[in-house]
Amino acid sequence: MSTTIQPQTILHELAELWVTLGKESAPDQGSGVLRACTMTLLTVVEESEDTSDIWSVMAALMPEHPSRAIVIRFRPSAERALSSRVFSQCWMPFGQRRQICCEQIEITASDASLPDLPAVILPLAVADLPVVLWCRGARLFGLEDFPQLASIAGKVVLDSAAMGGAADILGRLDGLTRSGRILADLAWTRLTRWRQMLAQIFENRGYLARLAKVQQVRIGFGGGAPPPGAYYLGAWLLDCLEGAGARPSLTWDPAEKAVKGELVRVELNAAEGDGLRVSIALSGDPERQCAEVRVNTLANRTVFARDNDYTLLRQELSIPGRDPVFEKSLARAARMAHAE
Amino acid sequence: MVVIFGANGDLTKRKLLPALYRLAYERRLSAGFAVLGISRTPMTDDQFREKMSSSVEQYLEDSPFDKEVWTGFARSLFYMAGDVSDPQTFSKLAARVREVDAERHTGGNVLFYLSTQPSQYAEAAKGIGDAGLARGEGWRRIVIEKPFGHDLASARELSEKLHEVFRESDVYRIDHYLGKETVQNILAFRFGNGIFEPLWNRRYVNSVQITAAESIGVEGRGAYYQEAGALRDMIQNHLLQIMATTAMEPSATFQPDAVRDERAKLLRTIRIMKPSEVLENSVPGQYGPARIGGADVPGFRQEQGVGPESQTETYAAVTFFVDNWRWAGVPFFIRTGKRLPKRVTEIAIQFNAAPHAVFGEHGDETTPNLLILRIQPEEGISLRFLSKRPGAGMNLRPVSMDFNYGSSFGERSPTAYETLLLDAMIGDATLYTRQDMVEASWAVVEPILNVWHEHKFDFPNYAAGTWGPKESDDMLARHCHTWRRP
Repeated sequence: MSTTIQPQTILHELAELWVTLGKESAPDQGSGVLRACTMTLLTVVEESEDTSDIWSVMAALMPEHPSRAIVIRFRPSAERALSSRVFSQCWMPFGQRRQICCEQIEITASDASLPDLPAVILPLAVADLPVVLWCRGARLFGLEDFPQLASIAGKVVLDSAAMGGAADILGRLDGLTRSGRILADLAWTRLTRWRQMLAQIFENRGYLARLAKVQQVRIGFGGGAPPPGAYYLGAWLLDCLEGAGARPSLTWDPAEKAVKGELVRVELNAAEGDGLRVSIALSGDPERQCAEVRVNTLANRTVFARDNDYTLLRQELSIPGRDPVFEKSLARAARMAHAE
Repeated sequence: MVVIFGANGDLTKRKLLPALYRLAYERRLSAGFAVLGISRTPMTDDQFREKMSSSVEQYLEDSPFDKEVWTGFARSLFYMAGDVSDPQTFSKLAARVREVDAERHTGGNVLFYLSTQPSQYAEAAKGIGDAGLARGEGWRRIVIEKPFGHDLASARELSEKLHEVFRESDVYRIDHYLGKETVQNILAFRFGNGIFEPLWNRRYVNSVQITAAESIGVEGRGAYYQEAGALRDMIQNHLLQIMATTAMEPSATFQPDAVRDERAKLLRTIRIMKPSEVLENSVPGQYGPARIGGADVPGFRQEQGVGPESQTETYAAVTFFVDNWRWAGVPFFIRTGKRLPKRVTEIAIQFNAAPHAVFGEHGDETTPNLLILRIQPEEGISLRFLSKRPGAGMNLRPVSMDFNYGSSFGERSPTAYETLLLDAMIGDATLYTRQDMVEASWAVVEPILNVWHEHKFDFPNYAAGTWGPKESDDMLARHCHTWRRP
C-alpha cells in the first residue's frame, strides 16, 4: 500500500468521473446526469468490516440524503499507509429518464496515518455544505488523534451501545456535547419507536390526565448492567414525567434470557387505585419482533420492526443541527450512570 | 504578427503558444498570421518550431493535438535570438519583422508581447520605439504581464515609460483572471438578467467573500515570491479586478472603455485604510511545514531561494469596504494563499437572512442564501438556499443549485489566454487593465504593504494544508462573520 495520497488528485479524479458520466448518459436522448449533494458523509470503519455493507447503506441513503460519501477504512498498524479510490453511485428514479449520481471515495489508512488524514479530508469536503462523521467503532473513537479528524465534521454520529461501559461512554459524550460538539448516538435513535409507542398511549386524554400519578418506571434489558439505551430511556421518561408533575422512581429490570444490551420492556406504574399501569414488552425472535402494548387490562400487539444502520442513519441525517431532547436526555443519562 | 519577447520562457511554452495553436485550430487566426519569437537562446526557426511542437502537445488543455493543423500553424512561427538590453537587437528585429511581413503578408499589424522580466519592460518598449517599430502601416500594440510596478510610484513610472512609445489605448496590461469565462460571465449574470441586479446592493447583500487558494507552495519560484508576497502577487491585481467586476455599476454599453470606466470607478471607491486601521483589517500569513496526505511538505522558509527569516507573506486576508451608495457598510473579505487545502477561486455573495424566523427551530436560520461564482477549477455558479426536506414535518435543509460550465455546455471553454490574445489582436481591451485601474489598486494596497513592512510578524503562523492563520478567523469574527469552507 502507498504511504501518501494527494487530495488534489482525488478532486481531479472526481471531476473526471463527472465528465465520464456526462458522456455516458447520452444527452441527445434527453437524459443526462444530475449531480446531487446535500452534505459530505464521512464514515470511519475498521478495515476488517465488510465495506459492501457500508456502501449498501450509503446507496440506500443517497436518494433522500444525496452526499459525497467518504469511507475511511482503518487498519490497526503502526506503519504509515494510505490509499484511495474514487467511484460513483447512480440511480434512475422511477418514471424518470435522468440518472442521479453521487460521489464516493474510499480511503484505506493505517492507525499511524490518522494524523495525516485531516489535511486530506478538509479539501474533499463539499463546499458550504454540512460534514457528518459516522464513527463505527469504539477503538476508532478512542484513538488519540480521532478528535482532529472529528473536528472537520459539524456532527458526529456514533453508537454508544457498541462502546463498552455506559457510565464511561455517556460521560464522554456529555462532556463533548457540553464543549459545543453536535453529537448523535444511535443508541438514542433506536429509542424512537419506544418513545413513539409511549407517546401514542398518552394521546388518550384519560391516560394523560393520570400521568402525574406515575410512581414507578421499570426498564427491562438483556444482560446484567443497564446499557446506554436503558439510561437514555430512563432519563427521557423521568424528564417527561417530572414535567407532567410526577415524581417516579426508576427500577432496572435485567432479563437474563434476552440479548445483552437490548431493551425488552418498559413499565409505568401508578399507585394501586390510581388506575394506570402501562407496559410495552417485546417478544418473538430478533428478526420478527412484536411489541405488546398493555394499558391496564387492554392489550395490543404490534410489529416492532428492528432498526438497521440505514434506518437509524436516515433518521439522524434528517436532523441537521442540535437535537435538544437528545442532549437533555444525554446529560441526565450520564449523571444517572455515573451515580450508579 | 505577434512578437513574443521571452519566447523560450515558461509562459510562452505553457500558455501563449498552446493558446495561439488552439486559435489556429478553430480557424480564428487570419491567413497572414505569424509569430516571431525572441529570446537570448540561439535557435533556428525550425528548432523553435520543433521545441514549440512538443510544448503545445504537452500543455494543450482539453483539446486534441492535430498534426495537420500544427503543420500549417508551424509555418507561421519564426524566431530570432536577441537580448532586450542590447540596442542592436531592435534594429535586427525591425529587419526581421519586415522579412516576416513580406513572407506572410501580415498587413503591418504587430502585437508585441513582453513575456520577460518586468524590469525589462521599459527597456523593451524604448527599444521598440527607437527602432521605429511602434508605428507602421497597421496597428501596433504592446501586451505586458503583471506585476505593473511594485508600488504606486513605480507603476506610474512604468506607465510613463510605456507612454513615451505607445498610446495608452495601445497598451494591453494582461490579467489572465479577467479572461476566464466565469469572470466574464459575472457581467452576463449581473447585467443580462433582470432578477439579480435588484438584489445586488447593501439592502440584500450581507457580505462578499473572495477566495483564491492554491494547494501548492512556491514551486521553485521562492526567490521571485520572496520579493512579491501574496498581497502584491494576487490581491493588488487579480482579486481587486475580480472584486471590481463583481461590485461595479452597470455600464451603459459593452464598449471597452465604458466597462473599464465602471471598473476603475469602483476601484477608486474602495476605502483606503489609515495606518492605524491596517492591522485590524488585514492579516498576513506564512505557511510552516506540515504533513499532507502522508507526505512531508516544507514550510515557506525551507523552500529553495527563500531566506530562513523571511517575512514574506504567502497568505493575505483583507477586509475592504466600498464607499458608495450601493455598497456602504458591506464588507468584502478577500483572502489568498499558498499551501491551502485545495486549489479554488470563488466569489461568494452572502445575502441577508430572512427577516423573520417563520419556521422556528425547524428552519436553519443560520444558513443564509449564498451565491457562489466559481472561477476555478470548475467554472460555474451555485445558489444555496433552504428547502423543505421531503416527508412529514416542516424540516428545512440547505441545498445547492449548480450550474457547471463544463457539463452544461457541450463545447469546450476557451482558456483565458486564448480569449485575451484574440481580444488584443482585434483591439478589444475590455478585459485588459488600464493605467488608472492599476494606480487605483496600488493606492488601496500600498498602505497595507507599508504597515506590514514596518512590522515583524511571528511567522510561520499557519500549517500547510490548513485554511490560514487564526488571526484571519479573528478578523472576520470582529465583523461577526466566519470564513466559508470552499
